[in-house]
Amino acid sequence: MTTETRLGSEVMEAGGASPALEVDHVSRWYGNVVAVNDVSFSLGPGIHGLLGPNGAGKSTLLHMLSGFLEPSNGEVRVLGEPAWQNPASYARIGLVPEREAVYSFLSGWEFVLLSAQLHKLPDAEAATRRAIALVDMEAAQHRATGGYSKGMKQRVKVAAAIVHEPQLLLLDEPFNGADPRQRLQMMAMLRRMAAEGKTIVFSSHILEEVERLADNVLVIVAGRLAASGDFRAIRRLMTDRPHTFIVRSSNNRQLAAALLADESTSGVIIDPDSLTVRTNDFGAFTLAIPRVARDAGVTLHELLPTDESLESVFSYLVRR
Amino acid sequence: MNATIVALTLRQVLGQRRSVLMLAGAALPILIAILFAINNGGPDDPTPERFSATILLGRLVTNAVLPIVALVFGTAVLGAEIEEGTAVYLLSKPISRARIILSKLVVAWVATAVVVVPSAAVASVVALEGSDADGISVAFALALIAGSLAYCALFVLLSVVTSRALIVGLLYVFIWEGVVTNLFSGTRLLSIREFTLAVADALTPVRASAFDANLGPVQGMLLMAAIIIGATAFATRRLERFEIGEST
Repeated sequence: MTTETRLGSEVMEAGGASPALEVDHVSRWYGNVVAVNDVSFSLGPGIHGLLGPNGAGKSTLLHMLSGFLEPSNGEVRVLGEPAWQNPASYARIGLVPEREAVYSFLSGWEFVLLSAQLHKLPDAEAATRRAIALVDMEAAQHRATGGYSKGMKQRVKVAAAIVHEPQLLLLDEPFNGADPRQRLQMMAMLRRMAAEGKTIVFSSHILEEVERLADNVLVIVAGRLAASGDFRAIRRLMTDRPHTFIVRSSNNRQLAAALLADESTSGVIIDPDSLTVRTNDFGAFTLAIPRVARDAGVTLHELLPTDESLESVFSYLVRR
Repeated sequence: MNATIVALTLRQVLGQRRSVLMLAGAALPILIAILFAINNGGPDDPTPERFSATILLGRLVTNAVLPIVALVFGTAVLGAEIEEGTAVYLLSKPISRARIILSKLVVAWVATAVVVVPSAAVASVVALEGSDADGISVAFALALIAGSLAYCALFVLLSVVTSRALIVGLLYVFIWEGVVTNLFSGTRLLSIREFTLAVADALTPVRASAFDANLGPVQGMLLMAAIIIGATAFATRRLERFEIGEST
C-alpha cells in the first residue's frame, strides 16, 4: 500500500490504485455552524482510522461517507459512485453505526439473517453462520439481542455489517463496550479483511486503538483534516516542534559534547545513565548521530524517540 | 414491497403493547351497539339504520376509532424505528426507498383494518339486529378499508417529515377534522374522514335521512386516491433525502 503523508488539509491519497473512497472538497454546515470544512482525501484498501476530539466533525464526516448526510459542498464518491442518494451502493458497503440500538425482539441469529435477507444473498443462512462465527457469537446467537451486553451488541452489529462481504466497511466507534479479548479478536478480523483487499474506515476517540490498528490515520480537528498518513510520518513533518530522543552510550558525557558541536542538535540534558537530546531536524539528526558517535569513539547502546506516540501527535495537532 | 421488511414490521407491531390496547379500544363500538340493541325503542331514539350508519359507524368509528388506530400504527411502523435508531439497518441496504415505504404502509394498513373493520362490522350487525337490507355494514367495511389506507399513508408520511408525528397527527384528527371541517365546507376537501364517509355513502342505497355524506361519491373517491398516492410519493421522496445526523 502506498501512503502519502501530509499536515493540513491538502489532498491526501492512501491505498491502492483505485480508491474506494474519494472525498472532494467536502463541507457540511448546520445553519451558521461549520461541522466539516473543505476536506479532501481518497482512500484505498487497508485500515484507516478517523481520529478527532469530540465535536471535531468525524461523525459528520463518517455519515457523509456512508451516504446518510448530504454534503453542503463538494462530493463523496464510494467505490466510484456518489454516496448520497444511492441505495444500490450499499450492496458493496457494510456499516456499523455508533448507536447501540438493535431490534431487541430478534435473536442475534435473526438479526444477522435479516441483514443477509435484505441483501438478497443466495444462501443467507450460510452467510449468517459465517459472519456470526467471525465475531465469535455462536454461543449467544439464539438469545434475544435485547438482553445482550454492549459489547455483544457491537459484535452482532459487526456481523450484520459483514454478512455480505462488503468491499468497504465503515465503523463508527466499533470497540465501544468490547472487552480486551473481544477487542483483539475484532482487530484481528479487521486486519484479515484488509489483507483481503477490503477498505476499512473506523472512527475512534481512543488513541491506543487507532495506533494499534490503523495503517493510516486521518486526524480531524475543528472540522478540518489536520493531518493524514502514518502517524510516525506525521510527527516527522512537524518541523516546528523539536523531537526528543533518549540516548544511551558507552560514554554519555563525551557523546553530549560531540552532539552539541553538531548543527543537528539543539540541546542535550545529561541524566544519570542517559542523555535526553533535542533536535529540530529529525532527518539530519538520525543521519548525524552514528557519525558523531563514531568520530567521538563512543558506542551507541540505545536510541529511542520519546514523543512518537499517536497521543503526542494528536495533542500537538489539537493544540495547534 | 419487500417481504423481509413486511415480516419484520409485523413482528414489531404485534409485539407492542399498544396493539393490545388498540384491540381493546376497538371493542367499544360493539359494546355500544349491544347497549343500543337492548335499550332502543324510545320516542327520541334514532332508527337502527340511522344509529348504525350515522352515529355508530359515521361518528364513533370513522371520526374516532379509525383515525386513532391508524395514527398509532401509521406512526409506529417507521417513526418508531427512526426514533429508536434501528432504521439505519434498513436504510443501509440496497433497497429502494419506495419499497421500504410501501412495505411499512402495507403493515400499518393491514393492522389498522384488522382492528377496525371486524369491530365495525360486528357492531353494525348488532345495532341493526341482523336486518341490513341496505348493506350498511358492507359499505362501511369497504369504506373503512379504504380510509385505513388513506390515514396510514398520511401518518407514515408524517413520521418521515417530523419527529413529533404523533402530536401532529392528533392535531390533524381532533383540531382539523374534529373542529375546522365543521366551520365551512371548503375544509372538507382536506379531510380523510369526509372522504371515507363519501365512499360509504356511495356504496349503500340507504336513504338520506339515515345517512348522508358531505362530499359526493366521485369527489370523495378521487380525493382519497389523490391523498394515498400523493402522501406515499412524498414519503418516498422524503425518505430518499432522509439524513441521519449526529442527533439520530
